[in-house]
Amino acid sequence: MDLRFAAEDVAFRDEARTWLTANAPTERRPKLGRAVRDYDLAWQRKLYEAGWGNVAWPVEYGGRDLPLIQQLIWFEEYARTGMRPIDTRFVGLAHAGPTLMARASDEQKSFHLPKILKGEVVWCQGFSEPEAGSDLASLRTKAVVDGDQLVVTGQKIWTSFADHSDYQELLVRTNNDVPKHKGITWVICDMKSPGIDIRPIRTIEGGADFNEVFYDEVRIPLANVVGDIDNGWSVAMSTLAFERGTAFTISQVQLAASVEELIELARSRRSINGRPVIDDDSLAKRLARARADCAALRSLTYLGISKNANSDQPGPEGSMMKLHYADLAKRVYRLGIEILGTRSLAIPVDEDDTEWIDKHLIAYSTSIGGGTSEIQRNIIGERVLGLPR
Amino acid sequence: MDLLPTPEQVEIIDSSATFLADQISIARTRELFESGELPAVGAAAWSAAAELGWFALGLPEDRNGIGCGLADEVLLFREIGRRLAPGPFLSTVLAARVASFGGHQGLSDEIAGGRRVGLVIPGSLDAIGPDGSIVGEVQLVDADPDGLVLTVTPTIAALVAVSSLSDVTEVPCVDPTTRLHRAVGTGVGPVSSVASEVDPVELRGHVLAAALLTGIVEWSRDTGSEHAINRVQFDKPIGVNQAIKHPCADMAVQAQLAYSQSLFGALSVDEGRADAEFQALTAHATAAAAAEFATGATLQIMGGMGFTHEHDVHLYVKRMELLSHTFGMPGLWLDRLLELPEPV
Ligand SMILES: Cc1cc2nc3c(=O)[nH]c(=O)nc-3n(C[C@H](O)[C@H](O)[C@H](O)COP(=O)(O)OP(=O)(O)OC[C@H]3O[C@@H](n4cnc5c(N)ncnc54)[C@H](O)[C@@H]3O)c2cc1C
Repeated sequence: MDLRFAAEDVAFRDEARTWLTANAPTERRPKLGRAVRDYDLAWQRKLYEAGWGNVAWPVEYGGRDLPLIQQLIWFEEYARTGMRPIDTRFVGLAHAGPTLMARASDEQKSFHLPKILKGEVVWCQGFSEPEAGSDLASLRTKAVVDGDQLVVTGQKIWTSFADHSDYQELLVRTNNDVPKHKGITWVICDMKSPGIDIRPIRTIEGGADFNEVFYDEVRIPLANVVGDIDNGWSVAMSTLAFERGTAFTISQVQLAASVEELIELARSRRSINGRPVIDDDSLAKRLARARADCAALRSLTYLGISKNANSDQPGPEGSMMKLHYADLAKRVYRLGIEILGTRSLAIPVDEDDTEWIDKHLIAYSTSIGGGTSEIQRNIIGERVLGLPR
Repeated sequence: MDLLPTPEQVEIIDSSATFLADQISIARTRELFESGELPAVGAAAWSAAAELGWFALGLPEDRNGIGCGLADEVLLFREIGRRLAPGPFLSTVLAARVASFGGHQGLSDEIAGGRRVGLVIPGSLDAIGPDGSIVGEVQLVDADPDGLVLTVTPTIAALVAVSSLSDVTEVPCVDPTTRLHRAVGTGVGPVSSVASEVDPVELRGHVLAAALLTGIVEWSRDTGSEHAINRVQFDKPIGVNQAIKHPCADMAVQAQLAYSQSLFGALSVDEGRADAEFQALTAHATAAAAAEFATGATLQIMGGMGFTHEHDVHLYVKRMELLSHTFGMPGLWLDRLLELPEPV
């Protein structure tokens, strides 16, 4: 056992840090509109040109295929730039891309993967529906084969970045006569196809990152089906094998950095009673606890990466990290509101304070998106501990 | 960076588990404390543990030790915690270091050979003097009246003769496997001592206490889950209900956090990282919180059986309380954690 990084890993950290310091965008990411996409894709192009397009992808698809330890280091360094862990590049780089690698035809791969890596396209994920959330396999958006096309009619919801997207990984129901997991198809949907209607949904913090997407007889070439018709559930699940717990490092490192900033904030601000906020012993103890919890989350990340580096099957640490992170993030960002006290009511107070309010509000999503915390607990209970369903 | 146990470390885990199951089973522990023998560990088992080198595992070879790291000791102590082995394992291991680094190698050899050393829990922070002597009211955990006890502060660790204390009175301990005395210090200087810059005994203590607590969390997770699978009510295993399933899942997460942070703390001390103090205190705080949650959750999952003397869970609850009040208590650690520099 060892916490120290090997000499070549230390050198790699230097290289990554130097490049990121010199090249990470200095202007703030816009919140709304086309500018968001432009900003993200410009950043991706810059990364790609310098050979950082995707540190986890295999070399044959243009990635760096770094060992897990160096991926960890890259994401630790990336986190220090303050860039968001999830932006419009996320689905392409971390979800649809890896799924294509695992299951798509050579033609599909050679067409799509380079575009994703070079920052030419944005992808979104059309899985959830109004009636199919946690129970994803009950999805109803219908697709019927007509000649060499699928004709899709139905609705998706909560589709992040749909309004910025060129392509979508879309799950549709192609068969109603078989058990629900067996009649689903995974298809690449061109978001400019006629019959698609995208309606932004305003979110809790005033943004509009996710959308409703309506499909009215949208025609998608059969050639866009990945895997086979009716076999989409297994295609959708294959991405999980790719996720080996390194990308999550960004969120974890940034949460720890937020705790440090909150401690500073509590030291520099005065409470309504005129005393430094940090003098509130209950708050101080919770800040200390948050600091400890972030450190423990890092150790869990390191343990998970150590295991995954030695095995092909990702361990259960992934679900554990997500679950614990969600609890912790909500607890940490609520502390921000407590520190601001009565000042937290006015928006905007000043730019920095507004950010704490946003972070607190956005933290509510951490236990919902990507599988709710209740579902994560079911997964850990059933798959790790063997409890009955 | 690698947190996976090596084959040698797996061997430590397996052999210690086998030894504990054989020699220091909970059934045997119960026999002993119910017949009034405290601490509830047999002399033969204790000597056998000494012979296996348990008290010298982390001592450097040039100090007659086995030369393993604190991370190896964490793996051993996790098993000790999981199996609720009684006796002053923690203070004896640390005491062998104090004697050796304090310049009393003969005493260190004796301790490593099985001479038990108890632990001092001060009634207030100023009950331990700057030289490690006892100057106020204290409690002694698993002390022999004619033996030595260990004092530990952030700056010094020392061995003090129990015979030099006044008003030594045995009192029942919340943990029925543990012997407890009250005593008052007289300021008599320690037999041996070591400053924390020379050997960070306090940090090692926090990490090993965290390892013991990790074992408790893992036992709770496994015991609670097993009952959730086997106990049937309303024609179904109780584990189908999320009010049971979800705390089991939370125990699994807490166990993994306590384990990974115990290792992180141990390696930070072993490698002399600048944030070793932060990581070691975090390990203890994390494992104590995890153990409080997990023992309570498992007690609840057991139903009425959880409230009995017959089921073992109460013994784990009580051991958890002891280990959460060793080397201070959670509130104190948190105060320190806030003052320390940002972890590296
Ligand atoms: C920020 C954000 C971004 C998202 N982006 C996308 C995206 O890009 N593409 C996409 O397809 N989806 C996306 N989603 C949707 C997300 O995957 C779903 O919201 C999530 O899976 C939950 O589904 P639901 O909202 O229908 O809630 P439901 O499944 O209806 O759940 C409602 C409540 O019931 C609980 N519940 C449900 N079933 C159980 C059970 N068996 N046991 C215990 N409790 C249960 C849930 O935990 C939850 O608390 C996003 C969501 C968020 C918040």
